[in-house]
Parts: sequence; C-alpha cells; structure tokens
Amino acid sequence: MTSLASHRVRPRGGALTQGLTLAWRSLVPLRNEPGRLVQLLLQPIFMILLFVCLFGAMTGDQTGTAQFLLPGVLVQVALVATNTTGMNLAEDIGNGVFDRFRSLPIARSAPLIGRILADTLTMLLTVTTSLLTGLVAGFRVRTSLAETLAGLALVLLFTFALSWASAWIGLKARSVASMQGMATAVLLPLTFGSTAFIPAANVPGWLRWWMDVNPVSHLAASLRVLLTGGPLGAHLWITLAWAVAIVAVFFPLAVHSYTRRIR
Amino acid sequence: MTYAIEAEGLIKRYGDKTALDGVNLAVRRGEVLAVLGPNGAGKTTAVRILATLVSPDGGSARVGGHDVVARPHQVRELIGLTGQYASVDENLTGTQNLMMIGRLLGMSRADARARAVGLLDRFGLTEAGDRAARTYSGGMRRRLDLAVSMVADPRIVFMDEPTTGLDPRARTELWDIVREQVAGGSTVLLTTQYLEEADQLADRIVVIDHGRVAADGTPDQLKSRAGHRRLEIRPERDLWTAHDILAQVIGVTPHVSCGQAAHRLSKDAAPRPPGGTATAEARAEDATERMADASSGAMPDRSYGPVEDGVLSVPIVDPAMVPEVFRRLADAGITLAEHALRRPSLDEAFLALVSAPSPDLSTPPQLSTGTGGMASAGRQAPSPSSEPPAPRPAVSSRQPQSSGRSMA
Ligand SMILES: Nc1ncnc2c1ncn2[C@@H]1O[C@H](COP(=O)(O)OP(=O)(O)O)[C@@H](O)[C@H]1O
Ligand SMILES: [Mg+2]
Repeated sequence: MTSLASHRVRPRGGALTQGLTLAWRSLVPLRNEPGRLVQLLLQPIFMILLFVCLFGAMTGDQTGTAQFLLPGVLVQVALVATNTTGMNLAEDIGNGVFDRFRSLPIARSAPLIGRILADTLTMLLTVTTSLLTGLVAGFRVRTSLAETLAGLALVLLFTFALSWASAWIGLKARSVASMQGMATAVLLPLTFGSTAFIPAANVPGWLRWWMDVNPVSHLAASLRVLLTGGPLGAHLWITLAWAVAIVAVFFPLAVHSYTRRIR
Repeated sequence: MTYAIEAEGLIKRYGDKTALDGVNLAVRRGEVLAVLGPNGAGKTTAVRILATLVSPDGGSARVGGHDVVARPHQVRELIGLTGQYASVDENLTGTQNLMMIGRLLGMSRADARARAVGLLDRFGLTEAGDRAARTYSGGMRRRLDLAVSMVADPRIVFMDEPTTGLDPRARTELWDIVREQVAGGSTVLLTTQYLEEADQLADRIVVIDHGRVAADGTPDQLKSRAGHRRLEIRPERDLWTAHDILAQVIGVTPHVSCGQAAHRLSKDAAPRPPGGTATAEARAEDATERMADASSGAMPDRSYGPVEDGVLSVPIVDPAMVPEVFRRLADAGITLAEHALRRPSLDEAFLALVSAPSPDLSTPPQLSTGTGGMASAGRQAPSPSSEPPAPRPAVSSRQPQSSGRSMA
C-alpha cells in the first residue's frame, strides 16, 4: 500500500489554495495572449463610448447625458460580463478539463472557487475600465472617493451574486451555445427593463411595475447616487436585499448541480 | 495486495441502454491490461468508473485497495488518467498546463516548474512548451495530456484509447512512452480498438463487447483459443501420398483443396502489401476456410483420381510435429512447391472471440462470393479502410503472426 503511494505528492493546502491556482489558470491566458486582454477591455470601452456619445449627440447635451447614462451603462456592461462564469464552466465541462480536475485528489469545490475568484477579478477590471472610459467621455464624479469605491463595490457584489446564477445555468447547459442563449434570455429583461437607461416617468404601467421591482433599476440608481450625489433613498437596501436573495437561491442550486456533475 | 485494480460485476445504465452489463476485471500490480473492444463496447464507461468519474449502478471496484465509490479521494491520490479525448487547457501553454497540475498537487512553484520541464523533455515537447496547447497537433496534444496525467508519477495509470486518431509514427512514439512507464513499475490499464496495439503492449487482454467480457487471457492464449495454427503444404505431385503421411503423423485427416480454393495459399504467400489489406484478406480467407470445413463433402476425394494442383492443410496442436512431417515427406521423395505454418491472425482471433457464431457464417452462398462476407456479420470490427493500420515497430520481442512461410 505505502509503496503504491510513495511517489505521490500529497496535496497540501485546502480548497482556497487550490482555488487560487485555478484562478491563476483562468487569468493567465490574458497575459499569454494580449489580444484577449484587449478584447476584454474593448467591450466596456466600446459600449460606454457608444451609448454616452451617441445619446449625447442626439440630445445635444453631452455632459447631462453622460451624468445620467454612465452608471446605467456601466451596470449593464457588468451584468453582461457575468455570462463568462457560466460560459467558462460549460466550456470546461465540454472539453474534458473538468474531468481532469475531478480525477485529481483536490477539494471538490476548488474548480468552482477558482472560477468565481477569477471572474470577480476580471469584473473589477471591466468595471474600472468602464468608469475610466466614462471620465474620458465627459462623465464627472461628484462624490467622495469613499462613495465612489462603495458604488463600484456594490456593482461587484451584485454581479458576484448573479455569477452564481450564471454558474448554475452553465452547469445545467448542454453546451456553451445553449448557455449563451439562456443567459441572454435572463439578462435582456433585467438590463433593458430597468431605469438604467430610461427614466421611469414616461413608460406604460406594466413596464413601470417591472422597473420598480427590477433589482437592476435599484442597482443603477444606487450607483448613480454614489457617483453623482443625491438622496440614496431605499435603493441601496433593496439592491443589497436582492443580492442576498439571489445568492440564497442560486448558490445552493449551483453547488447542487456542481456536486452532481463532480460526483 | 496483489491486485492494483479489481472490479466485480460492474453495471452501468444510461436510460434503457446498458453500457456495462456485469464486467469483472483484475489487474495485478505492474501488469499491463488491455481492454479491447469495438466502439460502444463499454470501454470508456469502465475506465470512468475505475477513475471515480462516474459511479456504477451495480457491482463494485477497488483501485489500489480503495473502493472507488466509498473512497474516491484515496483512489485519486493513486491514479493518473488519460481520457479518450485530450483534456488539456487549450488556452494555457504546455508548461502552464503541467505547472497547474503540479501546483494543485501541492508542489512549490519551483518544484512544479522543474517537473514540467522534465516531463516536456520526456514527452518530446520541450520546443512547444511555451506555445498555447491550442496550437498543438493531435499527437502533441495527446502527449501533453499523457504528460499531465504523469505529473504525480502515478503508480496506476488509465489510458482510454491513447492512440486512436494518431498517425502511425505518433502511435509508435506513444507505445514507447507506455513501455517506459511500465518499465518504471506502473500498473497500466489501457483501452484500444486495435488488436495489434493490445498485442504489442499488454500482458493480458480482456475483450469486451456489448458491455460484457467476451474473453480474457494473454495475447497468445487468445490467439490459440481462437484456433490452432495450420500447416499448409502444396506438394508438387503425389498429393494423396502426402495426404496419408500428414494423416499419419498428425493424426487428423488433412483438409484438401484444389483449383480455385488452392490458389489462396499462393496468393497469401505473396508479400503482403503494407496496410490494412492483409487483415481484410485474412478475414476473407478465414471465412473461406470455415465454409470449406462446413461443407467438406464437396471437397475432392480420392475418387477424383490424381489431383494436379492441391493444397493440404492440418491443424497443428504441437509444433514439434512439423519437422517430422517434413522429414517423412522428404523420405517419400515428395517435394513441396510451397509450405506455410499459419497462425490465426489477431483479427481472426478477435472476430472469433467477439462475434458469437452468427447465422451469416453458416450461409455458404454468401461467403462463397469471397467479397468480404464477414463484413455482414453485423459486428463492428476495426475496419482497415477507416483506420490507419498500426505498424509493427522495428524491434519486436513478440512472435510474428505467421512463421515458417516460404516460397518454393
Ligand atoms: N453519457 C452517456 N449517456 C448515454 N449513453 C452513453 C453515455 N456514455 C456511454 N453511453 C453508451 O454506452 C455504451 C458504451 O459506451 P462507451 O463506454 O463510451 O464505449 P466505448 O468506449 O467502448 O466506445 C454506448 O452504447 C454509448 O452510447
Ligand atoms: Mg470510448
């Protein structure tokens, strides 16, 4: 028995150490191929410039448009980016990398932890790039540094919560393509049916109702206040409550289908 | 503990499809077992159960003494798995793939790097080490996958069809790698669709088909179980004298064929073209032979009078009898135009073991056309046309498939 295992390296450290290695594994392609990094950054840059400049040109009020739209577009960019969690999981399952991990004597949760860690870091990059692009496009932060950071942290927290939903879909999906389809079906009503882009004043009643409920409305409103000032109202608490609720539902679901997958 | 891998009565169902239907396996420490079977036989399912990736619906298995269902973590500490499809991270370089595994297994960064460098060298990937795995050829990807499963220097190695889809050169390279691993003392369970490969690498072969073990034994045992060697001679004249000598020495009435059927000996004795046609021929031949045996009444007998050009053939149980046959023939002044001692080919062995005698075989008219009647047996045998033939390495310690063949 002992001779069988004699050459064997015994994994030290727990799920977190292994998760860090796997997060490194997810991030290192950005360094291997700078094209990937450019693509990752170009997405938010392009979206922010498109929305802010286009609508600014339409309304003729560049600064006013930027002040209203940037928080909303930033939130939308961040939400779309949660897609990657599920997509990468679906890809790992599809091409056998997941089976490789499962055949190793590592913590069962390590691949999932690594994925979420890596995606949180790329999200930080996406959100920061969005804000910097906004500044270039004429957006002005009117609050303190602490409030600004709190705003970005809120976006990260909310997308972290949503990435569990994304992970669940990715673990359920039969392919990367079907994952994308499902994620889009969830994200479209969330982002466009919110007050991120449109003030709720002049929309029909049923849409108005959805916009009031939609957590993205509250997230965008919170961020807008934390970056440009104004009364915060209940937006922050509603956003936080939603984040907790999403994690409460999708974390167990994701872990459940994950353990079914890795059994 | 003498067995590194043991499985009893493994059952796995997918819906109403039974992938494994009670498979038993036992692999001694340091042994190479080839699980041989056609596509869909259940090879991958068996490997995935043993490697703790799926749990069986019935039966039990132990790897390194640990139950695969109850103690998967302990099993994973012992095994290296190379799946049927390469499972390397395409976006990482070769070095990074190897380092990732080393780090996951608790090596320091420096140790993991040193291990990666060593493995890249051993698997001939040093130059490609800093390129993304996406850019690798099929053979390179396979080798990287194998290297990745060797990071922990596992004592028990599973390889699921390690050479499928590789060109002949990449295949022989991979064979060498497997042999090295075995020389290092590892226990290896590999699956393959190639009889050649099982014969080359394995100490023992388990043939599975439709989720069941069809046969189990050493390559030589399987070959002899599938049929004895046959001595075939073509006397220049005095066919019936030779016939009587054979009958006397061997104790079996020789099979006589002449005319069309007799030509197969000369055809067979011609240098075989490289590639798969040889096996196709062997199979067609085998079919002809079975047909001939079944309907021997139609074969020529003495009442035909002198036969000009005939071939006599007898099964040889004891090869020591062969020189005696030649001596007696020489004493009687009979010269041979041709002689051959033919082993059943691996393909014949495989077909005999896998296909339960199928109705098609007893239908001579179909076979008498000689155009691959075996193909209609309905079983998916490795087809020479669709798969690259496995070349024999220059040096082989094993016996060639036929011996004593010569042209006059
Ligand atoms: N995940 C699966 N879902 C449904 N059927 C499967 C699955 N895996 C294998 N099978 C079926 O089980 C049988 C055995 O498959 P497999 O073990 O892959 O055979 P082999 O590796 O010998 O080609 C096949 O008929 C295959 O279709
Ligand atoms: Mg298979």
